[in-house]
Amino acid sequence: MAVKVLLSALMAFVIYFFTISLRSADIITFVYAGFLLYIFISMIFTGNINKYRRIFQFVFAVLFTISFIGNLYDERGSMAITQNALFESEIPFCHLVIPVSIIPYALTKTIIFPARITGHYAAIVSMLVIWLTAVLTIGRGWCSWACFYGGLEDGFSGIGKKQRIKLLPKSKEIRYFHFAFLAFLVLMGIAFMSSIFCEWFCPFKLITEFTPIVDIPSLIATFVFMSVFIIFIVILPILTKKRTQCSLLCPFGAMQSLLDPVSIYRVAIDTDKCTSCMQCASVCPFNAIDIDTITQKKGRPEITCAKCGACMDVCPQKAISMEFSFSKALAKKCGSNVLNPDNKVQKFFIDLLNPKYVFMFSAFTFGVVISSMLSTDGMRRLISGILNALQFGGN
Amino acid sequence: MSLWSGAIQSLLLGFSTGTYCAMYCAPVLIPLVTGTDNISLKKTGILTSLFLSGRMITYIILGIICAGAGLLVSSFFDPVFARRLSVIAYIFCGAILLNNSFQKMKKKNEAQCRGLKKISVFTSNDYSTAVLSGLAVGLHICPPYWATLFLCSQSGSALHAAVYFIFFFSGTLPFFLPVFALPFAVKKLPVLKKIAQTTQLLIAVYFIVFAGLIPLFFYK
Repeated sequence: MAVKVLLSALMAFVIYFFTISLRSADIITFVYAGFLLYIFISMIFTGNINKYRRIFQFVFAVLFTISFIGNLYDERGSMAITQNALFESEIPFCHLVIPVSIIPYALTKTIIFPARITGHYAAIVSMLVIWLTAVLTIGRGWCSWACFYGGLEDGFSGIGKKQRIKLLPKSKEIRYFHFAFLAFLVLMGIAFMSSIFCEWFCPFKLITEFTPIVDIPSLIATFVFMSVFIIFIVILPILTKKRTQCSLLCPFGAMQSLLDPVSIYRVAIDTDKCTSCMQCASVCPFNAIDIDTITQKKGRPEITCAKCGACMDVCPQKAISMEFSFSKALAKKCGSNVLNPDNKVQKFFIDLLNPKYVFMFSAFTFGVVISSMLSTDGMRRLISGILNALQFGGN
Repeated sequence: MSLWSGAIQSLLLGFSTGTYCAMYCAPVLIPLVTGTDNISLKKTGILTSLFLSGRMITYIILGIICAGAGLLVSSFFDPVFARRLSVIAYIFCGAILLNNSFQKMKKKNEAQCRGLKKISVFTSNDYSTAVLSGLAVGLHICPPYWATLFLCSQSGSALHAAVYFIFFFSGTLPFFLPVFALPFAVKKLPVLKKIAQTTQLLIAVYFIVFAGLIPLFFYK
């Protein structure tokens, strides 16, 4: 209990710092800060990580979309990318394009995305710093806790209760396809020196910015990205209860999966406690647990695990937990007595360093840092839009 | 310009810009080699050699044509023509890779996918695919390639053209050495083979539709 209270207090400070003290302290920032604190406290006290995480990520995704589109209309008057923005590299750097940009940059010292290097909240350097920090800490947990696109799929997958299409038998093939798609995008990025994901396939153009339709190829591109959005972000998540775009197409997600072993947290399955009920496999939104994972007693989810907490919440045996990647090595070095406290103070510190809590704290901190600015702006725009619509105010 | 000074110039041209040659070839060669059955260092060597030979044959043929046409060919030295040639190369290469992908799928699911027999136009294996895709990739015109073609048209001699292109091609060869790491990677992670085969299919479709047909019909 004391640990939970202390972590909640620490999170309150983090939220205060990033949401209120760095921005104009108005009612909206206080409301958003209150919402964040409510989510964290609910997560930590109820233990339902996934439920509250999904609420947070969905709200973040919606507010991000409102803010992003609102800013585009303020600056350009439309969502279409202008020639001026392209030539002056004014396009906000999107994290999805990082895996496609690395090799062309390494080979030719050319960045294949028209964004600013520095001096902007979504400039290349700031995005790279955030990404590298994520790689070392939460790994692919980024997709579940900080990605502003993923929340939309989380939202749509929550519609309806029944899983109408079961992807569990195809989990392995889905993972292979995801990595094949990443390899395809990387190789095409090398050959064409451009991000073909952005040019043709990115579904998030529908909620961010897109090339104006001026000829047949741009019409085809628009048709493709709208289709990908409708199929992979709306329809399939509703039917499968999975994050299908994140599991099949997202290049960033695939790269984070490959880099995840570098991160300090990982999900572990206690094979002695596991009764092979397959509930974890059925709820995993990223197809990271399949029949082989359980029957072969692998002891951890597959490489695509995004640490969303769904399996931990649903496991009736509580056989799934979070652990530090160095836990086993540490236990070997220090002996098995390391986790047997002699007194209350030791117990308090051991509880405080519980990987589940530490992960939740660091992952949610990521969410707070990434969401604060755009979400409060989105909220402001949303409220002002509603008030305008109701003709109570506005300017 | 003497034969040998032209040859050295071509060699250096190939060597200094070989990264770009390798970048154009990587999407074709890497999935083909990684996705092949029973991969070994020897098989990688054979497939890479066949692919590169195909590329060199196209180079030499184009070089000889330019040498024969002499300066008449200069009217074709424009970016639009180069883009058209590249588009044709992509469609041709994509069709070859797609056929190879269907062959592999057919082999895997002989019983389930009878329809695939009709789709794969001709019987091919990885060796013939390597040669044919090499021939197609050789049509992909890049600036150093232009420069060597211009050298050929200036020389007016078929022998000179062949020598220039052999040297240009030789200059690009060191950039293909990393391909020999692939068998080791596949031995360590056998799943890479399956992933590479799917990647090849995606690349084939992209080459045909997005890099081939759309630019062919809709770009000037």
